[in-house]
Amino acid sequence: MRKTLLVLSCFGMMATTVLAGGYQVRLQGARQTGMGLIGTPLAFGSSSIFYNPGAMGFSKSRFDFTVGGSAIISRMSFQSINSDYTAKTDNPVSPPFFAYGQAKITDRLTAGIGVYTPYGSKSVWPDDWKGRYLIQNISLQAIYIQPTVSYKVTDWMGFGAGLVYVHGKVELEKGVPYNEGSKANLKGSANNLGFNVGVFARPTEKLSIGIDYRSHVDAKVEGGDATFTIPAGVSSLIPATNKFDASLPLPANLDIGIAYQVTDKLLLAVEFDYVFWGKYDSISFTFAQSGNILSSVNPRMYSDRLIPRIGAEYSLNDKLQFRLGAYYDQTPTSEDYFNPETVSLNTIAVSCGVTYKPIENLRIDFSYLQLHGLESERAYLPANFTGKYRSFTAIPGIGINYSF
Amino acid sequence: MKTRILIFAIFSVVLVACQPEIDEFQASKGNADFTKYVAIGNSLTSGYADAALYHSAQANSYPAIMAAQFAKVGGGNFIQPVVNSEYGVLSGKRVLDFAADCKGVVGLSPVPATGTPEGLAHVGYAVNNFGVPGAKSYHLLAQNYGNPAGLVTTPMTANPYFVRFASSPSISVMEDVMAAQGTFFSLWVGNNDILGYATAGGENTQGDSITPVNFFSVIYNGLVSTLTSTGAKGVLANIPDITEIPFFTTVTYNGLVLTAEQAVQLNGAYAQVEAYLASIGVPYQYNFNFQAGANAFVIEDRNFPIAALPKALKVRQIQPGELILLTVPQDSMKCYGMGSFSTAALMPFGIPQNYVLDAQEVAIINNATAAYNVVIKAAAESKGLALADMNSHLRNLKSGLIYDGLTFTTTFVTGGVFSLDGVHLNQQGAAVVANFFIDAINKTYSASVPKAEVTQYPGILFP
Repeated sequence: MRKTLLVLSCFGMMATTVLAGGYQVRLQGARQTGMGLIGTPLAFGSSSIFYNPGAMGFSKSRFDFTVGGSAIISRMSFQSINSDYTAKTDNPVSPPFFAYGQAKITDRLTAGIGVYTPYGSKSVWPDDWKGRYLIQNISLQAIYIQPTVSYKVTDWMGFGAGLVYVHGKVELEKGVPYNEGSKANLKGSANNLGFNVGVFARPTEKLSIGIDYRSHVDAKVEGGDATFTIPAGVSSLIPATNKFDASLPLPANLDIGIAYQVTDKLLLAVEFDYVFWGKYDSISFTFAQSGNILSSVNPRMYSDRLIPRIGAEYSLNDKLQFRLGAYYDQTPTSEDYFNPETVSLNTIAVSCGVTYKPIENLRIDFSYLQLHGLESERAYLPANFTGKYRSFTAIPGIGINYSF
Repeated sequence: MKTRILIFAIFSVVLVACQPEIDEFQASKGNADFTKYVAIGNSLTSGYADAALYHSAQANSYPAIMAAQFAKVGGGNFIQPVVNSEYGVLSGKRVLDFAADCKGVVGLSPVPATGTPEGLAHVGYAVNNFGVPGAKSYHLLAQNYGNPAGLVTTPMTANPYFVRFASSPSISVMEDVMAAQGTFFSLWVGNNDILGYATAGGENTQGDSITPVNFFSVIYNGLVSTLTSTGAKGVLANIPDITEIPFFTTVTYNGLVLTAEQAVQLNGAYAQVEAYLASIGVPYQYNFNFQAGANAFVIEDRNFPIAALPKALKVRQIQPGELILLTVPQDSMKCYGMGSFSTAALMPFGIPQNYVLDAQEVAIINNATAAYNVVIKAAAESKGLALADMNSHLRNLKSGLIYDGLTFTTTFVTGGVFSLDGVHLNQQGAAVVANFFIDAINKTYSASVPKAEVTQYPGILFP
């Protein structure tokens, strides 16, 4: 009964959104998500491929496979500052996913591969909303594929490194100030490479420490498709179809965490993630035709941010574990260059999770993360667009791990 | 025990708000009373746009937009003398469409719309919007200004637009205004007292002289005293510098673009004219100078030093700061040499005076505007009324005003504020102006009337 209640209280309320800092989505493991997205100082099997490749070799099993995903259900509200105008997004559910597999080649050497989606964003504002000349809707997704090797230098320390192949996709729509319904649709994809390196150490039975660095990747769209839905009267100025180039930075992360096994049943962890958002100072769109009218450089002025996280895991028995976590994510956006394409606010996040192990080698991890984007007045000065924003995100997630 | 703590903790996580609600905007009427709003003025107030008073532009007149915002702070219904036709009360409406010029070049330009005018049938109800296209300040006090009989007299003593809603044939606009018993008013008049002169190119051919400042002052102060006599509060607006509106700025003084060859030909032609004048004993140096690129147009010179010459010879090049009207016949300029030289007549072909405001005329307009605005400001101050400084706003608009990603300027068509007649506002422009009024009202009356959302109003319709 108690167990049922616990499970219900955690997942009964699948209400409503997330994107924490910027457009980063750190939902690469259901177990880590339950603990406030802490993963660097934890050796939770093959999901270490993302969180800390240095920890891969600390898996007890020879083979370890993890798959899972989440459903990001997000709502953002906008309120004009000098009128009673309000707008709310109608965002579709965004489904980040992950899949990892690893195998011990020797006692010390582990190899694996991971596929995951650490950046993404989906916002759909009403068609006639007052910010439509900034953004109407946007869908952004980056899939990372990461082959990785990890080497245990000693029994208590390992390091790992992975090469990251990034495939990014973006589609956005914004209004064009001609007749009602005039709009521009931009669609493109990008491929690039990066890396992920980590060190994991367990100096005592109870203490573990992890450091991980994931590199900056530029998602460069070249020759993306631009389609303009505009009256014939302006087609001599703006061609209906066009090509564009743009580049979106996917920033580097430096994560440091410590975990401590307080009792046999209770594990506590803290982590600090430093996200190098400062690289994102502007985004430019360069068009092949009518570039003098259409091309633009748009300031974003993001700042680097440090995210503190805490998390706990409690093992009730061999079959059940519970998790709790929380973190505070300060928005990397600028007060004066806040574009509603990415409604990233100072965010308080709380998480919980539960694991059920039906048999020895199989675990099913459920997680639930809830983000509260705190109300804030923000402006995008180049468009003289100011308002108050608030967001709410609910993210139920599931992961399945099989190891042997 | 631990489990209980855990349950408690999880519940506290879950029991948090789920919808991101933001505190509502706190609207307030301050110390004004918007129960019954009446708007007094001319074509700008009526919702006249694109050279016509038609349905959708009237529906989004600046007073109608203001009234919709006032409704959020206790304002009542705002009734306009509704025009049902999208074509308009009278003919003349312009739309943007493709048209071929005299050279066969097809381009986008304002062309006459097709339709049937709705006519002047009386609307049959009392209104809140007393904007009467064409009305000058003193017309608001004129008896019989809405009398249909006065439409067929010479000169006309009535106004067709007031005929549509005057409560009786003999009544004046102001008498109807006062009968409406408004609790709040807006007054924007005086524009036509100057504009009539300006759009006639300063030529006093249609009786369009500028209303003398002293007379304007008496009339204006009378209007304001009457309006405030009931204790009503309101907002006044001053007169923008009309020489900065697209009607006067679109055809630029140096819009005569020549090739090197054409410049040589023109210089040669004018040298011959000078030689001819010298041969008949009229020595005059034109000082014409044409070169490849942009050149000042040739205009008829009102103050040509030698009066006893054929009109075609009394010309000069226009100076920077002098203005050419939007109504100048474009085909005559493009194909028949107006503004440069008539190859058919082998004579100079200056732009006629009624399409030009020369330096003297511009100065007369500017002086009158400044003097009127002194009167308006003093009236606002003495009665404690709000004042929307449209003069400054228009000046600022020249360098661009950005609203939620839309950029507004005073440029014709693409500037987004002015309609296709180059004088009146389009619907987005009306929303911009409504917000200028609301700003002034909020400031003076310590109110928080919500601003209109400019992006929610249509701009110029492109084909």
